[in-house]
Amino acid sequence: MAALQPILKIEDLWVSVEGKDILKGVNLTINPGEVHAIMGRNGSGKSTLSYTLMGHPRYHINRGSILFKGEEIGDLTPDERAKKGLALAFQYPVAIPGVSVSNFLRASVKAVRGKEIPVKEFRQELKQQMALLEVKDEFLSRYINDGFSGGEKKRLEILQMTLLKPALAVLDETDSGLDIDALKVVSTGINTLATKETAILLITHYQRILNYVKPDFVHVFQSGQIVKTGGSELSEELEERGYDWVTQELTPSGVA
Amino acid sequence: MGETVKTIAKERVDEITRQTAEPAWLKDSRLKAFESYLKIPTPCNRDENWRRTEVEALDLAALNVVVNDSKEKQAAKEPAVVTAALAHLGKKLPYIYTTPESIEVGNADSALLSKGVIFCSLKTALAQHADLLSKYLSAENLPQPDFAENDKFYLMNQSLFNCGAFLYVPKNVVLESPVLNILSSGEETSIALFPRVIIIVEHGAKAEFVNLSTASKKQAQEAGPLSLVNSSIETYVGQNAGLSYLDVSDFSGNTFAVSRVYNEVKRDGSLHSSTVALGGWQIKSDIQTNLKEPGSKSDIRGVVLGAGSERYSFNTIQDHIAPDTGSTINFRVALKDSASSAYLGTIRVSKEAQRTDSYQSNKNLLLGSNAHADSIPKLEILADDVKCSHGATVGPADKEQIFYLMSRGLSNLEAEELIVTGFFRQVVQSCPVDGAGDWINELVADKIHA
Ligand SMILES: Nc1ncnc2c1ncn2[C@@H]1O[C@H](COP(=O)(O)OP(=O)(O)OP(=O)(O)O)[C@@H](O)[C@H]1O
Ligand SMILES: [Mg+2]
Repeated sequence: MAALQPILKIEDLWVSVEGKDILKGVNLTINPGEVHAIMGRNGSGKSTLSYTLMGHPRYHINRGSILFKGEEIGDLTPDERAKKGLALAFQYPVAIPGVSVSNFLRASVKAVRGKEIPVKEFRQELKQQMALLEVKDEFLSRYINDGFSGGEKKRLEILQMTLLKPALAVLDETDSGLDIDALKVVSTGINTLATKETAILLITHYQRILNYVKPDFVHVFQSGQIVKTGGSELSEELEERGYDWVTQELTPSGVA
Repeated sequence: MGETVKTIAKERVDEITRQTAEPAWLKDSRLKAFESYLKIPTPCNRDENWRRTEVEALDLAALNVVVNDSKEKQAAKEPAVVTAALAHLGKKLPYIYTTPESIEVGNADSALLSKGVIFCSLKTALAQHADLLSKYLSAENLPQPDFAENDKFYLMNQSLFNCGAFLYVPKNVVLESPVLNILSSGEETSIALFPRVIIIVEHGAKAEFVNLSTASKKQAQEAGPLSLVNSSIETYVGQNAGLSYLDVSDFSGNTFAVSRVYNEVKRDGSLHSSTVALGGWQIKSDIQTNLKEPGSKSDIRGVVLGAGSERYSFNTIQDHIAPDTGSTINFRVALKDSASSAYLGTIRVSKEAQRTDSYQSNKNLLLGSNAHADSIPKLEILADDVKCSHGATVGPADKEQIFYLMSRGLSNLEAEELIVTGFFRQVVQSCPVDGAGDWINELVADKIHA
């Protein structure tokens, strides 16, 4: 087998927001077929990483590189990245009043796949994914995230992922705000995204989702860096012991 | 032709009335308006009502007054613009199609036009229903909107109107579908057209009316001299009556369009009016609604999509004259490139108009880096027991919304277009004219992509 090319390779990534350094030297490599989880305290920079990957104009890359399937994407616009197979399920998806979910989904799928899909075919595919994620029909005629409950927004995010079938899906706290049953349903959706050719980067605060979506690697994020990496057992340890022990482990003993 | 707006003299007004065999009372009415017209100076953009317009660019001496002396006749073939509108609004709807040279009617055999309903060109109406019209058009019965006093363009129309339409719906008759009045100002430049539309919905009656004004798209390409389309629209909504009115202006880049809309609503009557402005060198529109009797209501909406260097100016006046009246205004403006808009929204509540409930909202989306929008609310409230609120926003499209859409593969432009469509859809989707919501969405989409 030829040396496999990572889907994502982040090297020494430094990112600032409005002049403030948030990411301070992130290194991360994700290969096809892998599921990575990132855990870390509030404000440690996890969403900053996800926004930066997707190309939000507010985030400035000051140093380092983001290689997506071997290609530097740091200068690409978000839509160009989406077309290359990168997708982000937002922690806080915005509402867009007046734009119906069905119109938007069609426009999005058409844009990412680069071709018009016959209405009937698209309907069929959509119905199938909606059934899987237990999304009711009425959502199609509603406006994007407008008046959606927290859990409904997350479901719509995953619905989009399953339609776009990205090479790398970055899921920013998709499990937050989901009830126990919804978590199972959404996890099923996430698992359909994981194939031999694709990968998942899952940002979460909770061990629970990792019972359904098994990570190959768990990373601890702290002050804009990945400070520790382990297998799925690491998430259990974090759940049990919190983040303090990681911090202590990193601090030379005796130094406050 | 031969005569311009500037050089037109009293004899000319006489001639118009003679040519069209108009009744004497109308001639009086025209002459009275003409006298006032002569006395009033041409407005300039320092006038509050004309701010951000470029009215100075309009050279009255260069505008030839159109004399359309053709008779109303059956349309031999449905004009394309009519077909496009009917595709959404419903086939076989009665329509009047006016150009500088002709007046055609279609689907006049529609069942809608029974039970005493009259829908015809103003010219035909004056010939056949003069008595009915005299109640609204004779000098002593003319309405007195704000602009009757001192508005040169309104008076210009009142003295020179030379085309238009008339709808009369008798007591308790309900029109289930809209009728259409379409004006196409054609390809010629340097012309002046003065359409006048009169809609009367009697006690307990209901009606829907679509007024579409266009110009040849061919004209749009050329930066030639300006043409003037100066319209007057009067609607009378009787006691317990209902009118849904939709106005679409989709002119070319050479048209200076002025329109004056006067709405009058009687006891427990309700008016819905949607104005859609999609193009023109300048569109300047004043919409005054007088809520004359208790229980009368109005719902005024507007959608303005500007591009290039188009200029828009909308004044709305809600005049709460009687107690227990209600009005809502929802005006949305999106401007690309270096388009500009000024919105002036007046809510007036007389001393008698207790328990008035009034709401006014104007939102402006600036898409072009040189686009500019003003929004000025004006409240003149003399009663003390009123509910009255207003709000205005001016700003670019939400960056987080754009990012969200782009992260799903849409280009910056596509994202903006979708946001604008949504911005408008919130206002037009529930337009009570059947099929209008989808039609407007399509017109908006066409213009955005243009
Ligand atoms: N626009 C901004 N201006 C200033 N600071 C910002 C801005 N955006 C983010 N930050 C800061 O960057 C830091 C990282 O934020 P980020 O949202 O990436 O954290 P997070 O790890 O996703 O937290 P959470 O777990 O709460 O979602 C925070 O301290 C935040 O306040
Ligand atoms: Mg976050």
